[in-house]
Amino acid sequence: MVLLCLFPIPVLLVSCFIGPSELASSKSIFEYFRHLLFNTDAENATNLLTVQSILIDVRLPRIILAFLVGGALSVSGSSLQAIFRNPLVSPYILGLSSGAAFGAALALAWAFLPVQLSAFIFGLVAVALSYVAAIKHKNLSIVSLILSGVIVTGIFTALLTVVQYLSDPFKLQSIVHWTMGNLHNASWKLLNASYIPILLGVIVLYLMRWRLNVLALGDEEARTSGVNPVREKIIVLIAATLASSAAVSVAGIIGLYGLIVPHMVRMMIGPDNRQGTIINFLFGGTFLLIIDDFSRTIAGFEIPIGVITMLIGAPFFLYLMKKTNIGWEN
Amino acid sequence: MGKLNMAISVENLTFSYGKNTVLQNAYAEIESGKLTVILGKNGSGKSTLLRIIAGLLPYQHGKIAVSGKELNTMNLSQRSKLFGFLGQKHKAIFPFTVEQVVLTGRAGQVSFTPKKTDMERAANAIEKVNISHLRGRIYTELSGGEQQLVMIARVLAQEPKILLLDEPTTHLDFCNQAKLLSLIKELTTQSLTVVAVLHDPNIAFLYGDDFLFVKDGAIEHPAVHTKPWSADYLKSVYDYELLSIPYAERALIVPETKHS
Repeated sequence: MVLLCLFPIPVLLVSCFIGPSELASSKSIFEYFRHLLFNTDAENATNLLTVQSILIDVRLPRIILAFLVGGALSVSGSSLQAIFRNPLVSPYILGLSSGAAFGAALALAWAFLPVQLSAFIFGLVAVALSYVAAIKHKNLSIVSLILSGVIVTGIFTALLTVVQYLSDPFKLQSIVHWTMGNLHNASWKLLNASYIPILLGVIVLYLMRWRLNVLALGDEEARTSGVNPVREKIIVLIAATLASSAAVSVAGIIGLYGLIVPHMVRMMIGPDNRQGTIINFLFGGTFLLIIDDFSRTIAGFEIPIGVITMLIGAPFFLYLMKKTNIGWEN
Repeated sequence: MGKLNMAISVENLTFSYGKNTVLQNAYAEIESGKLTVILGKNGSGKSTLLRIIAGLLPYQHGKIAVSGKELNTMNLSQRSKLFGFLGQKHKAIFPFTVEQVVLTGRAGQVSFTPKKTDMERAANAIEKVNISHLRGRIYTELSGGEQQLVMIARVLAQEPKILLLDEPTTHLDFCNQAKLLSLIKELTTQSLTVVAVLHDPNIAFLYGDDFLFVKDGAIEHPAVHTKPWSADYLKSVYDYELLSIPYAERALIVPETKHS
């Protein structure tokens, strides 16, 4: 538990040293830190300035953004799995990813709104549509929610195809690139645009952490022990949607991530959301950072992070599923 | 004096699922500190009655009062202090431990996360049901009988005045049924009121203090001198030929077979 909580610190530090730039070698970064900490005389001031700008303007925002995005997707995923009482649920279940992809494509093709804002808005619109379609007689049935999510996903995927069909090859390329999920646009500007909804959502989910245990037992059990399951599920739904749509809007679609990390956390510490919520955020953030470090260095070019999460995540998940008891076989 | 012992009073209750009327102008009185058993045929509405009292089904016509207070005027948290409800077979998804499951019974009294007193109450409930040895075990890996005891502990952790049990013995074997009913009986001696829907009239007559029969939309409370375990009475409830064999001041009920 404590180890898991401390795990992010070394990874955050190591990540500062990772990147394609030749100028910002490990040696020069050490030198920069020494200069910062002990105010030593710099041998090569211009070089230090370059190092500083690479670190502060390029790597640091990307590191923080990767951490926040990973944490947001994981916490949202685990919370939604609890309220849907279904371990196969991910933050994308209600059409968030396809809505956001459509929004981004629309903005990339016709530039009427900033890409991230458009993705964020259409992500929320998609979830709201699924939600409104599922509500019947003031009752929120999980099955109809999942069904309406499937339908809404279908609609926005179709609309996305239309946009792709109508846009020129150059724009088409950037649309496809966006949907693959990547963090290479990371900047302080993107970070500023996304950290408030992400942290807001995560804080609400953190406050609800024990409530998630109650909701995970079932509606009847919750209601007869004094909890209104519909109201509390809506709170969780809104918070998870806020955090994950902000994450998707800045990083694109990072596939499988919000589904797999909650499982990994459950395998490590069990299903209790009291610890699970915070561990999902810390571990989910750190793990995405590690994946992003690889995506920056593994090849001469940058591999979209969504592709890596899919390729690494899927077999890893299958392996864990075979090897350990996830606890939902029966 | 009589009114003071009344835990629940149902007056003029009418309930329907769409056009299908299940209860019509039904009256019932349930005494406190006793084990009251609700019997009736499948689909007669006995579970419906229990679920209405538990607040799971909203009622439009009639009155249900607990010590004179109308149920419809209470919020969920107030209700949860009064009623504990245990539904038919509970299906768990996540591998929570027994302790974690029992602790969720405190939800109505907890704002965000449970405090030390909530943990203690959960521990007490676990002890009351004699499953301390299961505390750290994974709920989903327990046997049906053990799971049912855990769910009872969960309801007790809620510390209600009245326990509502919907067919608590359905998935249990013979001996586990007996164990569970002795435990429930034991609870009524600690001033808990228990209302249970049961399928098996034998279990009912072995352990029950009072009996309600749901039939044709009405709730029947046998008059003082009527013996509900008599073959004639049960025949009128179940529409089936039954034999009543005297046993321990009451009777054992067996269906009439061709070779008997």
